[in-house]
Amino acid sequence: MGLTYVPVARVGEVDAGKMKPIEMGGRQLLLAHLDGKYFAFARECPHEAADLQFGELSDNKVCCASHGYNFDLTTGECTMPKGGPQLTTLPVEVRGEEICIKLEW
Amino acid sequence: MSYDLLIKGGRIYDGSGLPSFIGDVAVNGGQIVEIGRVKESAKRTIDAGGLAVSPGFIDHHTHMDAHIFWDPYATSEPQHGVTSIVMGNCGLTLAPVKSTDAAHDALVKSFVRVEAIPRSVLEQGVPWGWHTFGDYLDRLEGKIGINVGGMLGHIAVRQYVMGEESVERAATAKEVEEMKGLVREALEGGAVGFSTNRNERHMREDGKPVASRLATDEEFFALCSVLTDLNSGVIETIFGRNKIEHFDYYNRLARETGRPILWQSLQHRWVEPNLWREQLEAVAPIFRDGFQAYGLSHTVPLVRHFTMKNAQVFDEFPTWKALMFLPEAARTEAFKDPETRKKLRADFADPRPTNFHRRWDILRVEKVVKPENEKYNGKSVEEMARMRAQDPLDAFLDLVLEENLSTVFWNCNNGGDPAAMGEILRSPYVLVGTSDAGAHVQFGADFGYGTTLLGLWVRERNLLSLEHAVHKLTFHVASIFGLEGRGLVRKGHAADIVVFDPATVRSHEPEWADDYPGGTKRLIQRSEGIHYTIVNGQPVYENGRLSGELPGQVLRGSAYRERHAAAA
Repeated sequence: MGLTYVPVARVGEVDAGKMKPIEMGGRQLLLAHLDGKYFAFARECPHEAADLQFGELSDNKVCCASHGYNFDLTTGECTMPKGGPQLTTLPVEVRGEEICIKLEW
Repeated sequence: MSYDLLIKGGRIYDGSGLPSFIGDVAVNGGQIVEIGRVKESAKRTIDAGGLAVSPGFIDHHTHMDAHIFWDPYATSEPQHGVTSIVMGNCGLTLAPVKSTDAAHDALVKSFVRVEAIPRSVLEQGVPWGWHTFGDYLDRLEGKIGINVGGMLGHIAVRQYVMGEESVERAATAKEVEEMKGLVREALEGGAVGFSTNRNERHMREDGKPVASRLATDEEFFALCSVLTDLNSGVIETIFGRNKIEHFDYYNRLARETGRPILWQSLQHRWVEPNLWREQLEAVAPIFRDGFQAYGLSHTVPLVRHFTMKNAQVFDEFPTWKALMFLPEAARTEAFKDPETRKKLRADFADPRPTNFHRRWDILRVEKVVKPENEKYNGKSVEEMARMRAQDPLDAFLDLVLEENLSTVFWNCNNGGDPAAMGEILRSPYVLVGTSDAGAHVQFGADFGYGTTLLGLWVRERNLLSLEHAVHKLTFHVASIFGLEGRGLVRKGHAADIVVFDPATVRSHEPEWADDYPGGTKRLIQRSEGIHYTIVNGQPVYENGRLSGELPGQVLRGSAYRERHAAAA
């Protein structure tokens, strides 16, 4: 059992409303900055594998540019269409000047 | 007498499902004119000794409506023995359409989003200029390498009559009457059916629902009544309704219209391992009473290969997910920890539904790294655990640790149970093939549903006879869609023929190609074992190459044929 914080960016590095690609454990993720909050999620849309970096961010959600699937970035739930595939999300914490992914097992 | 083409000495699987036999097939003027021991010569003779000769396969579920304009072969269809395709599925067609940019754009919006065809491709590749559905089909005459039929899409019909209000409201009685006129016009112009889409996940590029989702049952049944009046065409549906409680609707539709109903879809899925059987039991009374409601099913298992360096299949479980994002060294240490293993086990015991089946008897060891572990190759994790006298989770993680996270595992969420697949594929109530060819072009390619059926399920798994499989790919489809003179190797039938090697036929993995308008990439799929694909008597694909010939015909439905016969 353990807990670790993996720093992935520094505060101020990702502009509000923008995303930054990051890599963790050999996987491609995106770090998004929305209204002062940060979200980390899989770069690949779980619907048909489109790149979510081209998606739109708003209201704690990302909308895939390819098919318009919407995902709640706090839970990974597909909100449009409801019941769609789950997006992989990871918890983010700002620790001092560092933005970290929190991994707990 | 000299024939145009003679296919000599093959084993003929004639599409009926009857036992195969060795014989020759002679072709003249695009038609089969003789079958048996043919002594006369031909301008060209194909030696089919040791090979199978069957009707060309009919891919009934495509979205090639736009693609066919820039690629007359609908690549990769002939590579998989397909000689005829049906377009216009899921409510989506490019006709009828008014001659305005806004009207064209409204249809493009649905194709872009629902079928994932890049907008730039549609803007560059579709040579608008038709008005009615018949006009659209006319534009294809003489320009196609394989045969093409089309269903009329409900989305285009609504959009034509209601404009942008079609994505906002129900239709008035007057509008429904106008739509009925369009359905009649399309069927008399050659449509082989009518398709609709009420899938809640299907929306346009602008986030609005596709137009057919706004239709009431009254509207939909009224439009379908035109097919009943004309005694013509299938009704293809995608409602996103495949649970047992939805079958009353299909029952009602089949009985009220008297037309063949197609519903989506019937699949084996490990997370709902009995749903397919319940679905078949639900449609049985419809067929028993003399009506038709065919479930569309696929032949291609949804397989994923992974190692514990890169696995995503466990992302639905919090502890597993956290570990998979750790650096490999830390992940390795965590996998060793007994307390962590308890949490991993608890994740799997959580009763909430997940896509991953959590079954160690399904997950397989595909390729080990260490020679001493080779005995596990091909075994399920459960079998491997028994060999090691361990609990499956411990055996899985210990093997992973022994091999430095590099063991390759095989997982299949859909289509992985041969017993279920056998019953599904053999059922007369199941229409095999949901290639979706022409759609989702950058996310997958399932042109090879037929070659997968023949290679995987017939040859490797022996789930159904080759005669039966060929029947499901040919005459079964032609009969349901009313494609007269197709789908059988019979005298007087069109010489749509595929010559293939049952010992090698199979589908390859999809690969990227640069053959789209504007240099956009898309996925194609090659095959093995397809020697000749012959359309109306002319080989269009032989030994790995397309011929450049364009012998394809537009396949028009019975309402068109009868109208033109009467006029003649």
